[in-house]
Amino acid sequence: MQQRPKTRVVILGGGTAGWMTAAALVNQLGHACDVRLIESEEIGIVGVGEATLPHIRYFVEGLGIDEAEFMDVTHATYKVGIAFHDFGSIGTHYLHPFGNFGAPLNVVPFHHYWLRLRHTGRGGGIWDTSICNVMAERCKFEPQPPGSPLYSYAYQFDATLFAPYLRNYSIARGAQRTEGKVVDVDVDGQSGDVIALNLESGERIDGDLFVDCSGFRALLIGQKLNEEWEDWSRWLPCDRAVAMPCRPREAALEPYTRAHAMTAGWRWRIPLQHRVGNGYVYSSAHISDEDAALALLGAVEGEPMAEPRLLKFRAGRRKRSWSRNVVSIGLASGFLEPLESTSIYLVQGAIAQLIEMFPIGHVREADVAEFNRATDLEYDRIRDFLILHYHATTRDDSSFWNHVRTMDVPDSLNDKMELWRRSARVAKYSQGLFFEPSWVSVYLGQGIFPDGWDQRADIAPGGDLEAAVDRLRAQVSNRVAAMPDHRAFLERRAGPR
Amino acid sequence: MTGDTAIRTVAVAGGGIAGLSAAIAFARSLPGTAVTLLQTSAEPGSLVDVVPTTWPGVSRFHAAIGLDEAELVRSGIATHHLGTIFDNWSLSGRSWVHAFGPYGKPAGGIPFDQIWYRAERQGDVLPYDRYSLGAGLARHAKFVHPARESDSLGSRFQYGLRLDPVRYHERLNEHAARCGVTFAPGELAGVETSSDGIEAAVLSDGSRIEADLFLDCTGPRARLLSSVDESFEDWSQWMPFDRLMVEAQESSDFPSTGDHVRVTNDSWSVEWPLRTHKVRAMLSVGGEGLPITRGRRLRPWMHNVLAVGDAATALDPLHGMNLDVAQQAILLALELLPGREFHPVETQEYNRRAEQLTRRVRDFIALHYLRSGRSAGVWSTLSQREPPGSLARTLDQYEYRGRLPFHEEESVTRDSWTATLLGIGIVPVHVDPQAAAVPLQKAVQRMRELAREIEEVVAKLPTYSDYLRRMGN
Repeated sequence: MQQRPKTRVVILGGGTAGWMTAAALVNQLGHACDVRLIESEEIGIVGVGEATLPHIRYFVEGLGIDEAEFMDVTHATYKVGIAFHDFGSIGTHYLHPFGNFGAPLNVVPFHHYWLRLRHTGRGGGIWDTSICNVMAERCKFEPQPPGSPLYSYAYQFDATLFAPYLRNYSIARGAQRTEGKVVDVDVDGQSGDVIALNLESGERIDGDLFVDCSGFRALLIGQKLNEEWEDWSRWLPCDRAVAMPCRPREAALEPYTRAHAMTAGWRWRIPLQHRVGNGYVYSSAHISDEDAALALLGAVEGEPMAEPRLLKFRAGRRKRSWSRNVVSIGLASGFLEPLESTSIYLVQGAIAQLIEMFPIGHVREADVAEFNRATDLEYDRIRDFLILHYHATTRDDSSFWNHVRTMDVPDSLNDKMELWRRSARVAKYSQGLFFEPSWVSVYLGQGIFPDGWDQRADIAPGGDLEAAVDRLRAQVSNRVAAMPDHRAFLERRAGPR
Repeated sequence: MTGDTAIRTVAVAGGGIAGLSAAIAFARSLPGTAVTLLQTSAEPGSLVDVVPTTWPGVSRFHAAIGLDEAELVRSGIATHHLGTIFDNWSLSGRSWVHAFGPYGKPAGGIPFDQIWYRAERQGDVLPYDRYSLGAGLARHAKFVHPARESDSLGSRFQYGLRLDPVRYHERLNEHAARCGVTFAPGELAGVETSSDGIEAAVLSDGSRIEADLFLDCTGPRARLLSSVDESFEDWSQWMPFDRLMVEAQESSDFPSTGDHVRVTNDSWSVEWPLRTHKVRAMLSVGGEGLPITRGRRLRPWMHNVLAVGDAATALDPLHGMNLDVAQQAILLALELLPGREFHPVETQEYNRRAEQLTRRVRDFIALHYLRSGRSAGVWSTLSQREPPGSLARTLDQYEYRGRLPFHEEESVTRDSWTATLLGIGIVPVHVDPQAAAVPLQKAVQRMRELAREIEEVVAKLPTYSDYLRRMGN
């Protein structure tokens, strides 16, 4: 094979997205590219992505990083789901579990059998058929034995420690770090490609491929290339967040992230080993910054560990996340509020696509189209799932909830909801982040009960079915009873090292 | 959907293999639902009733409807099918095998095909199909049941079945009766429709059959569905052979595990060896033979009418995917069965997924014609035809960098695509940058060992005749 000169990759921005990209590139394509990352200490990072989804494990594992060490460095805790409080109506709560409800029987998903029992007034609750839910309720944790697909887990970690950790990893494997602020971008007059970044220091950095991880500023993809932004605020009106960590006060360490619905948005609670992350995501059209900060202060459980920090954003995505020789990853590419902990997942997905479509010598338009097609699909499907959390509500206690309850939603979501209402089916996609159990939990957790179910579930005699579901509950309960407390498991795991 | 709006009566129109398969599957899966089979005779152009060969998915379907596969083999109705040998359907004129299951072994997280492309550049490879045990067995008419241990070489292939159409049909008839299907003999005389679909099917003796749901398994003319919706997507530009001649032939050879396909300047033909005889089919453009339909109904599910088999998707017999597509449609219909109201959201979801299931089958078959590597006779202009958009993407990505773009419900595996693309003679221009991470010398060494191991295993195994004899027939 002919030796091709290495592709010079220049990453702009040293936040979570930037260093994740650098780490993955040096690890998987170190033989094919030189990686240089430009960051400035003066420009802070957003770094609120503390809550993750199970996919992050494959990223960490793919880098060959030891899980225990990684969790230790980032003060991470385990996470088996996301608890939603007061979304469907005030006083209700449910867990979006990283695992199934029951198990399918004769290829029919479990929830159809449960709905059938429920119809006859039996069946009990569905939540205690989810092992994640029972683990969450009892603050227990243990990873599933290998090969058992029952449930998965993610991490809650300190994102401001994650990026530096990956920085060390990347530099040790050949990435170059340049401190500095970009003051000017050179563009080739003919092709329109970016050819170099000029720093405040006077240094000029040439490259073949530029990865824009500059956050909301979107220095390359937005400011330089003017790639259009598709705005989704008509469906996702939250445009600000105020964040503030506090000391933990509760004795038990919850293996899950909480989302509490608030008057004009929702509030996250992310328990780490040493602190609790808190933040109020809200719509500035429905509450002032001062009132939002006050509401957050009033809600956090322990002594604040920092001043409240304000973040501004808007929901949507770039119409083309990759344009010419500039790939945007992270907030420069798009933003979806962290209601379902998707921020880091979106970064990870974009990195995987970049590696799959990595230019061979030069950037090719057909490859760029492939990348953008995949990226758009990710965003669009997550978007519908997020909107569901707001729209599926009976809340009428504030102008915000009145708005989201009554707003028009995308047709694609209307159809999904109608399909569920009629026959308890979840539109199936093999690519996309949230699968059937995720949708089932939000539908049922927010009070949307279907009229029907899969007719094939009628095959089992009712009495037998009820007994089988009871047995399943007992199994789940016994299994969790044998698990250690979340905190105990963390300490034991950290101990022997 | 159930409760007040559950489907309680199903009428299946079409007494052929598709109709029987659907009737059995519905009767077994839906307790309390009465299934009536209108035994109209199969249209001659209904290829599900003609093409005996199937893909590995057939086992899943048989398990779902409670048909004992081992018994089908023992009684001589079924033989095993490991793949297809294309004698001369390639740029080089060289023979190649499309076998079911994986080719080669991945190394260092890099798929085998990418490693093969790299090694090929050094001239250090054997043809791609030499790294597939299934291909080796098919070429030498040998067979052994795949092993269960997931890592062993013996587990790295799959099989479909060839089903003797006449005897399989008889067996399905018996099975349908056992499963409680009611038979209504006679020919279809007409259909009574309303704005909500079909009210009743009328038979030649004047009897009216009413049902909540009508399954149209009448063949390419879709006699039920076309009474409520006629939209049809024509695929003939991508599957240009429109005449089919089929003949049963005495067979003196021992049964083989590979189907044979041969090309001439103006036709192609396939031989399907069955237990007692072989079936030979020849396809041409115009001329003698049975005219065949190629295309699909845009809305196979409309109101209370669902088309299955040739009525929904009509394929030519290349690779023999006809019955598989019908079986997949039946399983999908059960998975998404709406209530009696047949709300458009429910039928649209079926149509969306059915479209995804068939689109790539179309692309896969079209690939053989549009990139045949042949330039004489009827083949000469085919390479200039515009491929379907999704196939164009596949070709672009594959030819440039050996990548196969993801498709929802991809019904043709990555291995099948790769074996076929390489078989007909398309080798990617570039190797994916990720693949360059694998040390080549070691990989080449492992490839040599694998090819040798496959050769030895193939040589050791019994012929298919011996296998069948040991099975007790």
